[in-house]
Order: sequence, then structure tokens, then C-alpha cells
Amino acid sequence: MKLVILGVGGMGAISLSKILARVAINKNLTVKSTEIHGMAKKGGLVEIYMKIGEGASPYIPQKEADFCIVLERLYYDYALNLVKSPEGIILLKDDDKVKILKEFGDIRFANSFILGKFFKKQNIFDRKDAVGVLSAFKMPDKNIKAFYEGVK
Amino acid sequence: MKLFLSGNEAIAFGLVEAGVRFISGYPGTPSSEILPTAIELKRKYKINAYFEWSVNEKSAMEEVTAASYANIKSAVTFKQVGLNVAMDPFMNTAIVGTPGGLVVVSADDPGPHSSQTEQDSRFLAFFAKIPVLDPSTPKEAYEFSKDAVNLSREFEIPVMLRTTTRISHSREDIETGEFNFKDDTAVNFNKNTDRFAATPHFRYLLHKTLNEKIEKIRQKNDFKEYFDGDFLIITSGVSFAYICDIVEEYNLEGVVKVIKFDMPYPINFDNLQKKIGGHSNILVIEESYPVIEMQVKNRENVSGRLNGFVPNEGELTLDVIKELFFKCGIIKERKEKSIVAPPFKRPSLCPGCGHRSAFYAIKKVFKNKAIYTGDIGCYTLGLNLKAVDTVHCMGASVSFAFGFDKSFSTFGSKMPVVATIGDSTFFHSGITPLVNAIHNRASFLLVILDNATVAMTGNQKTPQDKTDSYNNTANAVGIENVVKGVGVEFVETEDAYNIDSVTDILSKAKEYILKSSKPAVVILKHPCVYTKEGLKENIRFEKVFVDKDMCEGCKVCIDNFECPSLIFKDSVVEIDRSTCINCGQCVVSCPLGAIKVKE
Ligand code: SF4
Ligand code: SF4
Repeated sequence: MKLVILGVGGMGAISLSKILARVAINKNLTVKSTEIHGMAKKGGLVEIYMKIGEGASPYIPQKEADFCIVLERLYYDYALNLVKSPEGIILLKDDDKVKILKEFGDIRFANSFILGKFFKKQNIFDRKDAVGVLSAFKMPDKNIKAFYEGVK
Repeated sequence: MKLFLSGNEAIAFGLVEAGVRFISGYPGTPSSEILPTAIELKRKYKINAYFEWSVNEKSAMEEVTAASYANIKSAVTFKQVGLNVAMDPFMNTAIVGTPGGLVVVSADDPGPHSSQTEQDSRFLAFFAKIPVLDPSTPKEAYEFSKDAVNLSREFEIPVMLRTTTRISHSREDIETGEFNFKDDTAVNFNKNTDRFAATPHFRYLLHKTLNEKIEKIRQKNDFKEYFDGDFLIITSGVSFAYICDIVEEYNLEGVVKVIKFDMPYPINFDNLQKKIGGHSNILVIEESYPVIEMQVKNRENVSGRLNGFVPNEGELTLDVIKELFFKCGIIKERKEKSIVAPPFKRPSLCPGCGHRSAFYAIKKVFKNKAIYTGDIGCYTLGLNLKAVDTVHCMGASVSFAFGFDKSFSTFGSKMPVVATIGDSTFFHSGITPLVNAIHNRASFLLVILDNATVAMTGNQKTPQDKTDSYNNTANAVGIENVVKGVGVEFVETEDAYNIDSVTDILSKAKEYILKSSKPAVVILKHPCVYTKEGLKENIRFEKVFVDKDMCEGCKVCIDNFECPSLIFKDSVVEIDRSTCINCGQCVVSCPLGAIKVKE
């Protein structure tokens, strides 16, 4: 599976990629990623390419990604150039953010939420694979709840 | 245990597992995460080791060389331009050899993404006559680090591990060994002046020994073969991984044969020549410079960088390699598509960064009537405030100020020159040219932007810090003492946030340098707001806002202050609440007083 994550510096795109990697490793799949750091520190775009269960390099040419998780609306149009079809885009909407803040009190739960949204679309992992990884987290109950909120 | 490690983390794991117990280095993208990972391993597994940053790459290289003389397995890490700084000891360490073993990790940055040059460290291994390993994935980076330690130990020769941005900053699932970091370290220095203090007269003997070592390694150095077609491709490093991806995508298993060198120098020429003899189409694809290609004896049927087939600049991305395959007929059809770049955002100093306030004050005093020599660090972005005219290499702000001052005062008339340098860069390479300026009577203003950290590369500690990387006591070196100690008389220190007072000091410094024959130094302190502590302690108001009725949309604030949180929208300026840290520094930049604070 070829996956791209787009976020801005400090938004947790990298931790999201690490969660996904853990899920893949637990399932005995190979996983590779590459972070295009750019000027992420200065609030710029963070672009992460991931290949799960395939490939020698983590690089994904444009229009070849199966999925693209977009954590910042601003990059939606750019994401269209990365995926095979627009169906593959998973966007964290502004209303989602408001909802997460209201329900969970911290925007960082957006990661588990968007993970849920992604799990609904893909077909190589089972939901329990993600729950297993999330239960090792600091606030497992809230993270798992946010995950299922995303799956909905 | 399977871990998801970046190339840089993998290198640290490999080195430490193979018994390396002395690591020094200087931060620089993309190499900066190697040493902190080793530091973390030392802390976590209570390893008896010396892993710590040094003041610059030359010192680091010398420190680890001595450690290897003392029979300790050692390593040094830096980015490719750091190797330039370390070049003097590097060359001689090769000649003398390294009894305890020494791995030189040099991280290249083809592109370049965050460097001055696209140079290929493998070339410098070639130049120094030491072997170099070139991993194609983080997994190989892990394996090759261990191989490098063992090879170095066996032949008493420094071994280079060359990584690139794409390897250092990629991650992969890696099966690491069990963490019983067993220790075979035994410190011991066998004095031998013929070797460790040889006079020039006997140096050729050491050179001869080096030649013998590298010949032995050359004989052992074999390549690996993949796939089985007629078209021969010779490669190493990250390009190999890209080539494998393309072979898979286009089913080229029967079209190409790939020869991969784990060690691109020294190459066993004769074996390679035998292999390529029967092929009429040969392509050499390697990231950066034609290092393998230049070692091919008969290049009659060879295409690569030397005949201009492979571009001689820029990163060799998967897309570029695909295009090359198309150009030479390996791929018949290419999926037509143009590459779209992501929305561009000009890099800028962080909102609330003290450097911005400093540059603003400098510009206010010196206007467009000075030459501004800049340096390497976040403050290179003083470019945006038009307060940086040159950026060259570490410490060059000071020596460039010297050169400009002497040129204008000797061949024209006195020209004010303002140099800006960060605290860590000053310690790295700024002190020596300042000594020269004092001795040879140059006068310019040197502004040391002191944010108490190496901000650009991930906030490592500087020699000014009271603690080391383990939060143990360290001796803090004061910049002011250093500057006064070498003989600077005009020395003032102020918080960069006090723009009015800074402006006064800078005006006095300007008067001073125009009539004096010594440089003036102004130290502008303000903690980096990108660190948690810096941000927490930062002065802040409840809210900083633009009074919509007063703002005339002239954009003077954006042009002169350029905080990225100031944005122009619907013909007025407003403040981006999601990034503004309410520092209030921008207030002075509005001539109409439209930027206001709520206490
Ligand atoms: S990281 Fe620190 S020093 Fe660098 S621009 Fe940001 S605030 Fe300034
Ligand atoms: S208060 Fe002004 S200078 Fe400070 S971060 Fe906000 S917009 Fe930038």
C-alpha cells in the first residue's frame, strides 16, 4: 500500500506515521517511510510517504498513492496530484477539528480520529490491529474512542 | 525486536552495537539525529561511553582520532560541509591509521535541501584513500555501520559511512540485536613516534602502509548482482532502491542487470572490467558525483555523468532515473504526467523570534548604507529583512566583514560593515577571524545573536550551557569574556526584545567603528522561542491585535518586520491567531500605531 500524509510542522503527522508503522510491524508487514522535512519547523508543509508491504524505497511518484491523509485543508488540492483517485483522500475537516476539541478537549486526539477514518477505507488491516496499538498509549480509552469516532 | 528506525537512528544503533564507545560531532542537517540517538542509548542502557557534541567538526575529528589511538572504537558525525571543516585532520588520520577503529559518518545532501553544496563525501574518501560504505536503505545503514566498525578495526584505517538526506530521514522496520551492549573496550596507548608524530621525511612510509591497506581492501571488495538482462546498470546507495522500484513497476527483470556496490571505493577494477566486458550498453547511476564511474577502466560503452547522459547537478530522484531509463530505451513508454510542486511558503524566522527584532533594529540604524555579512543558522533568514547580503560558510560573516572593510578602506572609502552570527557558529568558527580583525586593525560591527542554543538543527546545547547533553554540570564559556579577552573594547550586551535600547547601542557602535581601528561587538540575547522553555519564559501580552480602523493596508509592517503571523487580508493587515505568540515585538513596525497590545 502506498500512503502519503500531509500536515504542517508540529501537528503530529510524524507520530501518525509511527502509529501506522507499528500496526504494520505487528502484522508482520514491511514498512518504509520518508519525511520531507522542508521548513516544517517554520510552520511549513510536512510530507510523509509510506509504503506498507511493498517496495524497496519509500518514495511514491505523483498520482501513484493509494491513499493520502490530509491534516490541513490548505493542502487538499495538492493531495489531488498525489493519489490515483480522489477517493483515496482522507481529509481532516475543520468541523472534525472543532468536534474533537469539544469532545476530547485536545486536538492531539485528531490522530486517532483520522486513523479511524483511514481504517474505514482501507482493507489490509482489521480495526482490532489499531486498537491493539492505541491501547499502549497514554490515554488508551480516549484514543480508542476517538478512533471509533473516525470509523463511524 | 523490530523497531521503526530512521537512517540516522539506525546508524547510531549499529555503531553502539558494534562496540563504538567514543562519538563526537557537530550538528548539521541531515546528520543531526545520530549523536542524540547514541546519547539516548547510553542513558537508557547505562553504557560506559563518551558521546557528546564538540565545538566544531575539526575538533571532533581530532578528538575521535586520539580516542582511536587510545584503542577505543570511535566515530564522528557531521554533514558533508562539516567534513570540509574536518579535512585537515581527516587526511592525516587516513595516513596514520586508527588502531582502535574509527568510523567517519558524513551525511550528504544532494538537492541540496539544506546545505551550501551538493558535494559527494565518497569523493573525499577516494581522495584520502579510505574505504566508504554507501547504504541504500536505513536497514543497510544499520548493517553497514557495524561492517564499518569491523573493517576499520581490522585494517586500522578510518572507514567512511556515507549517508544522504533520503537515507538519514527515511524510516524502516529494522530487526535490531539484543541490547546486551557487551564491552570489549580496553583503553591503552602504545607510544610510537614513528607513527603518531612522524616527521615529513618518514611520512611516505605511512603513505605506503595506507596504500597497502587500501589495495587489500580493494581485492576483497566485490559487487552484488541483481536481475538478468542485457542492459547493465552499475549503482550504489539510494539510487539502487529507486532502480529496484522501477524494475518492479515496469517488469524489467529480464531487461536489465544491476551491479551494486556496497563499497563504492575502492573498487576492484579488474573484476568489474571482466563483468562489463560483454555488455554494449552500460549505465552508471549513483547519487552525487561519478565516483564509481571514474573507477571504471574502459568507459567505451559507459553512459553516466562523465559523458553528460546523467545530469551533473540536482538530486537523482526516482523520477529523474525513470526519465533516464526512458531516454536510453530501457522503458519504452512513460506515463505522461507533470510534477506538481506543493504550495510554496517562503521560509521565515519563527513568529516572535528574537533574531527578527535584532535585524529590525540593525536595519533601522544602518539602513541601506552598509554591507551585511551573514552566517549559517536560522538567522540566515535575515535575508527576508534585507539585513543579510552574503552567506558563505560557518564563521565567514566575521572574515567577510574583515575582507570588505579592508577592501573599501584601502581602495575606496570607509564602508560600514555589519556581521551577524549565532552563538554556536561564533564558537565554531567566529573567534579566529575576530582575533585577526583585532590584530590587523579592521573595524566593523559584529552582532552576536545569542539564543543560547543551536536552533536550526534541533536545539542542541552550546559551549555557553551550564549543563551537557545528560544535564550534568558543564563549564559555561561566556561569549563576553571571549570577546573582551581577544581585545575588543566596544562590547555591549542587551536583550534583543528591547528594540529601543538596542537601537541606541547600535547607533553608538556605528559611530565607534567609523572612527576606530577595532571591531565593535554587540551581543543580542533572547532565548529561542521554538524551545519549550524559551516559549514559556517569553514575554507575552494577553493579545496583540491590529486596529482595523487605523490600519491603512500600507504593509509597512509586513515589509519591514516580516513576522509570518502578520497577514494581509481584505486590504488590511491582520494577525494569524494560530501562529502568533503575542510577543508584541511587531508593535514598533507600524508607523500609524495600528498594532496594539492588550496587557
Ligand atoms: S528556531 Fe528559534 S532561533 Fe530559529 S527562527 Fe525559530 S525562534 Fe528563531
Ligand atoms: S505579536 Fe506580532 S511579532 Fe509577535 S508573533 Fe504576533 S504578529 Fe508576530
